[in-house]
Amino acid sequence: MDTLNRRAFLRSSLGVAGTLALWPPARARGANDKIVVGVMGLGGRGTYLAEKFAERSDAEVAYLCDPNTRRFARAREAVEEAQDRPPKMLQDFRKMLDDKSVDVIINATPDHWHALGSILACQAGKDVFVEKPLAHNIWEGRKMVEAARKHQRVVQVGMQSRSAPYVQKARDYILAGKLGEVYLVRVYNMMQHPKQADTPDGPVPDGFDYELWCGPAPKRPYNPSRQWLNQWDYSCGPIAGDAVHQFDLARFLTGDIPYPKAVSQTGAIRVLRGGRDMPDTQMALFEYDNLTITLDATLWTPYMKKIPAGIRDSDQFPNWPFCATKVEVLGTEGFMYFGRHGGGWQAYDRDGELVHSEYGRQGDKEHQDNFVECVRSRKRATSDVEIGHLSVLPFHIANISYRVGNQRLEFDGATESFTNCDEANQYLKRQYRPGWTIPENV
Amino acid sequence: MKRQRRLCCIGVCSAVVLALGAAAPARWLATDGVKVRLEPTELGGPKIVVEYDLKDPNVTPESPAYVFLRYSQDSGDTWQLVPMDALRGNGFDIVDKPGHKEVLWWGIDQTGVADLAQIEVRVRAIAMAKVPAGRFTMKSLPGGGLDESGATRPDPNLPLYYIAKYETTIAMYADYLNEVGGEGAGWNARMARPERCGIIQEGNHTYSVSPGREDYPVTYVSWYDAMGFLRWCGLRLPTEAEWEKAVRGGLYLDGDRTADIHRDPNPLPERRYPWGDEDPNADGVYRCNFDGADDGFERLAPVGSFQRFASPYGVCDLAGNVAEWTLDWYSTSYHAGLDGFRMVRGGSWMAVPEGCDAVTGATQLPLQESSIMGFRGVRGPAATPR
Repeated sequence: MDTLNRRAFLRSSLGVAGTLALWPPARARGANDKIVVGVMGLGGRGTYLAEKFAERSDAEVAYLCDPNTRRFARAREAVEEAQDRPPKMLQDFRKMLDDKSVDVIINATPDHWHALGSILACQAGKDVFVEKPLAHNIWEGRKMVEAARKHQRVVQVGMQSRSAPYVQKARDYILAGKLGEVYLVRVYNMMQHPKQADTPDGPVPDGFDYELWCGPAPKRPYNPSRQWLNQWDYSCGPIAGDAVHQFDLARFLTGDIPYPKAVSQTGAIRVLRGGRDMPDTQMALFEYDNLTITLDATLWTPYMKKIPAGIRDSDQFPNWPFCATKVEVLGTEGFMYFGRHGGGWQAYDRDGELVHSEYGRQGDKEHQDNFVECVRSRKRATSDVEIGHLSVLPFHIANISYRVGNQRLEFDGATESFTNCDEANQYLKRQYRPGWTIPENV
Repeated sequence: MKRQRRLCCIGVCSAVVLALGAAAPARWLATDGVKVRLEPTELGGPKIVVEYDLKDPNVTPESPAYVFLRYSQDSGDTWQLVPMDALRGNGFDIVDKPGHKEVLWWGIDQTGVADLAQIEVRVRAIAMAKVPAGRFTMKSLPGGGLDESGATRPDPNLPLYYIAKYETTIAMYADYLNEVGGEGAGWNARMARPERCGIIQEGNHTYSVSPGREDYPVTYVSWYDAMGFLRWCGLRLPTEAEWEKAVRGGLYLDGDRTADIHRDPNPLPERRYPWGDEDPNADGVYRCNFDGADDGFERLAPVGSFQRFASPYGVCDLAGNVAEWTLDWYSTSYHAGLDGFRMVRGGSWMAVPEGCDAVTGATQLPLQESSIMGFRGVRGPAATPR
């Protein structure tokens, strides 16, 4: 594939004339300068992040971008309430990449835009805060790492639990051997999702640049009921998109193990039939060198609850048996319940006696602080892009296993490819629409 | 020109009496001459008789008033809604013509009141629009298309209901706060911002309205704040279906469930906006308050400012000004129902023009409040949020 830089991309896809230039280094910034932020994607998460960065005394939100203009008002209002200067509103985020005053891009788009949006931002000399799951597929994740390294960009992934102090304490506890040798970690993601409505395709609403929204993904006929999370074209799935938080914690707690050697998986659509590609039931077994991680994931279990708001930032623990987002760490000497969302953790000895409890608080603020600090210091962020890649990669493998008939897949980390299934290798990378490709050389 | 004059008759009875110019019945409708007396009855215990005059000449069966009474037994420290099922007469609930009204309040002794000196009564009236029973075309997807029931098509037949002609105003909401906001409930500091709301908390938890802001829609109200106000006056939020039918009208504007031969077909039952299909700024005519100042308003507009572009039932500002809370849930995928998102409809003064149409909805956490969200009330059969 031909190398394609961002300006060439802009010329080819937008017809925008521009002069070739070397990408500037990070803007020279005084200690008191505010970080200038642009936001891609004004859904719930993008709006939340825009508001949080606008509220910071050391940051300012200069741009809010979304292909759907109907999303402008809510995000703009939140930002205007939080800072003095009104943001500029754009449908096409690429226009803000030309603004040299912008330091940082927050990428809160659907999964299929994470890679291309972030790579273009890196090429434009912007640091990136990109939402999880890092990438739509394995190849894209690797390209995001390459782009960050090549252009010397700080790329923080929105896996904020890593930044919560109680998580670090749990990691220290485990790595100090308090549970003995840890050979098994169970990750849970037991949700209750709605069934996707089944309605006919329809016209694209006014004010929605559907061509841009689809970007690198296929441009399927517009359907107002289609949930992008449920479609392979646009997502790696609602399970991967949420469970990646717990899986990332499992990796963190056990010392950031890199690649699984093999992944077994069984998945099916059991309950939420109609209109979706993605399984609503997934059980997977990830084989690492000295560790096995299991995943129990459903989208139809209403009795399993995410940790309630009242517990998240309080001195309480969730009801562990019915905690939808817990991690269980099993060592030779002890056991740990661990809760995402500031759910805290509790450790038990070999007799099942409770020996340590640690309440938790969510790590969003610390995670955003870390990013801003790294933008200034040029250090790698807590959830660096490579960490994000390695935490979502096992889900990509499990999804590919599902797509090739629930086969056990053996994976080679050195080449990031499968060694026992050629068919599976076809899913390492997506097909791109002309004009929206990610180049081999980023 | 601001039109409110607030008179409180202190003593045996007090009533809020609001005189409004006929051209802009933007807040409480005009009631006057409130008199209250206690009458013994032979068998039923004492009853209270409330008389008043509904002054607004625009009250008709199609544009009736919703009248509710509230009373205090402790010199105005606390107030309660008089239950509608305790009332008889021609001047409560939906009242479809102006004139002298008499309301009989039975069962007053059940409240512990034996002496008229113990009680104060307030009468308030809200301008409503009648939405006749019958079919309509709903083009939005309930719950943003994520209705967990799987039923994406709402019942196209809605029963008769009445919806407030105007968004709830700052003046109305301030009256509510002054009755129930003793602990600050329902108010937050952002409401004091004069350019985006304008309700000031004085000492001792009393509230005043920034001068000139009376007729603007109240903002910075959460879903719970809206529900609090509406319970206070005996109304509820509209469902998404009710909200959308109020925009478009039914297939027959006078309803299609009756045996009447006369029917009034809706010329545009699938209209995009309350006034029709024209864009909000088509031909340089501004039909609602959306983003920018070209429509005459940089931010909020007084309710009813675009009355000429009301819906077929005369409901104003469904497009733009403030987006409006509805009763309905939004089923969000990631949060497993924990957060209870609700649907907001109608676009706002910050929305793009197309965002003010009949189908655009947004999701909001119910505790969220902002300067682009408000609400209006509905009087109708009990509704289950979808």
